[in-house]
Amino acid sequence: MKIKNPKDFWAGLMFLAFGVFFAVYGAIHYQMGTAVRMGPAYFPTMLGGLLTVLGAVVLAQSLATGDGEKLKLPFNIVDLAIVVAIYVAGGYAAQFAGISSDWVIVGATAVICVLAIRYRPDARALVLISAACLFYGYLMKPLGLVGATAALVFVSAYGGHEFKWKEVIILYVILMFFSWAVFVKGLTLPFPIWPEAFG
Amino acid sequence: MELFNNLILGFGVAFTPLHLLYALIGVMLGTLIGVLPGIGPVATIAMLLPITFNLSPTAALIMLAGIYYGAQYGGSTTAILVNIPGESSSVVTCLDGYQMARQGRAGPALAIAALGSFFAGCVATLIIAVAAPPLAEVALKFGPAEYFSLMVFGLVAATVLAHGSLIKAIAMVVWGLLLGIIGTDVNSGVLRFTFGVPELSDGIGFAIVAMGMFGTAEIIGNLDLKDEREVFTSKVTHLYPTLDDIKQAWAPVFRGTALGSMLGILPGGGALLASFGAYTLEKKVSRHPERFGKGAIEGVAGPESANNAGAQTSFIPMLTLGIPSNAVMALMIGALMIQGIAPGPQVMNEKPQLFWGLIASMWIGNAMLVILNLPLIGMWVKLLTVPYRFLYPSILVFMSIGVFSLSNNAFDVLIMAIFGVLGYICVKLECEPAPMILGFILGPLMEENLRRAMLLSRGDPTVFVTKPISAGFIIAATILLVIVALPAIRKKREEVFVEEG
Repeated sequence: MKIKNPKDFWAGLMFLAFGVFFAVYGAIHYQMGTAVRMGPAYFPTMLGGLLTVLGAVVLAQSLATGDGEKLKLPFNIVDLAIVVAIYVAGGYAAQFAGISSDWVIVGATAVICVLAIRYRPDARALVLISAACLFYGYLMKPLGLVGATAALVFVSAYGGHEFKWKEVIILYVILMFFSWAVFVKGLTLPFPIWPEAFG
Repeated sequence: MELFNNLILGFGVAFTPLHLLYALIGVMLGTLIGVLPGIGPVATIAMLLPITFNLSPTAALIMLAGIYYGAQYGGSTTAILVNIPGESSSVVTCLDGYQMARQGRAGPALAIAALGSFFAGCVATLIIAVAAPPLAEVALKFGPAEYFSLMVFGLVAATVLAHGSLIKAIAMVVWGLLLGIIGTDVNSGVLRFTFGVPELSDGIGFAIVAMGMFGTAEIIGNLDLKDEREVFTSKVTHLYPTLDDIKQAWAPVFRGTALGSMLGILPGGGALLASFGAYTLEKKVSRHPERFGKGAIEGVAGPESANNAGAQTSFIPMLTLGIPSNAVMALMIGALMIQGIAPGPQVMNEKPQLFWGLIASMWIGNAMLVILNLPLIGMWVKLLTVPYRFLYPSILVFMSIGVFSLSNNAFDVLIMAIFGVLGYICVKLECEPAPMILGFILGPLMEENLRRAMLLSRGDPTVFVTKPISAGFIIAATILLVIVALPAIRKKREEVFVEEG
């Protein structure tokens, strides 16, 4: 069997997987109820079934017709599995060592960044931009606005085409000042400014 | 005469210094993000949503609305001068606007775009003022069955109007509905699909999903391409269009306004569809269609009026029915709910100052845009020369602050990153994210109304086709689906999108 439309093939597979998951997980864990008194499982199971059918149709079509235009993703299914494995392994290791899950997410994401820069240059923007946001969220409490903004600006800038230290440092200072003036002073959002250790 | 009294009330509210200031902030911000490619009104409004908590409901809505229609003005500037659509609704303006600029007629193109938009904005404001009250009257009679059918119709319309494969668009809607019901079930209190994560018990915030799918995903996509922006600034001289230009442009402005106003009301419509529709229309009615794409002023005047009219009339379903017709309106509903106002037909009667103040502010905002923007074009052009490598980290900082401040929780930022990756993959797989977002916001509403309707009818599903209004929506939805599924029309639809896209 030959895949004639790879984009639809993967899209169909994605819909199918999510549909089956929602329908089955919902039906097992929650009460179905009746049409008159719908339980929590009724609507999701219905929709999950519908999504499964739609996914199957897209999948079937992708095998029948299409111009064979290639799908260009900067990673493959094995990469995706490795990423998931890193997070899962990190989670177990942390449970064992008694580290908070926040640090696991930060650490595992950092590992994935390094791997992507080294082995998947095309996925650099995808990984580093997503990671930059993550770092910002998870470093806000321990490192404060100063540290979190630094992580976000430097990591995301490194995900672009050009990285010049001088430019990025100036950008960081400007954004840092702006965040502080507008959000902390102006809108009085309760962000810690300095790292916990200095406070 | 009631209309006049209402409008006087509205202008009274909108003309207070504070509301004028927020209208100004809104339209300036809107123009700014409209000019800048790579950030749209959805991500911006989502970003500012947490901040609006500190404002009064009227001020918040005036500002957010200003961002949406302000972005339509700004988008055309980039399209004409740089040949890059600053907003997706300005894609067609590139075709003729940029050609006009290359012929040294950037000034008239910009002026016609602004004046056409202003005219469209005035007309659309009037349409909202006239059409909204009777619609809300009708909507007050809606029961759960009618609401459910209306939402089905809305979602079907949204998929039919989306680009690309119809079946994939439907699948995206269904997926969105499913993601929308994650969280606590309001009827039974059961936590659904939360997998033991306490942060998920309130569901996934809509603003977070919007920022991921439209914000970070867009940035990643832009970085995948090589930076190849070239600003066409050979000098914007003699801004004012000639008498000839106006003669050629006034009819397209009228047609664009009419078409845009109609398409804006449709679910899934709004500015984007309106501009595409208007360009096709102008090309069809023109006696010299071969001039299009070579700097025809009609190709600027029609779509630019239409997108502004569409942006504004898309407020009608949101204000009267409490149902969003596109992602921006969904965020407006979010802004209302943050303020503790349940959106729906009752808002007009219970909060007339909010309702009419918002409508009046749209007219004021449009006037501000014309007065401010033509002289400020030089400044906006300068902004375009700021390289993207400075812009995107700044956008990321603002988005992350916005998300984090929602509940001071890192988990929300994680969700945004996940949806960013998901949005990126969806674009690569040619699955439109817009229908999914609409499904996401309507998920819980649909389930709630379905449950109530079935309870009232004692489990009889025919209730949706025996009640006349509900049956009307279902029939309309079915007709739409059948029409699009017909082979001949399907081919035509694909052609239209190819031609336009």
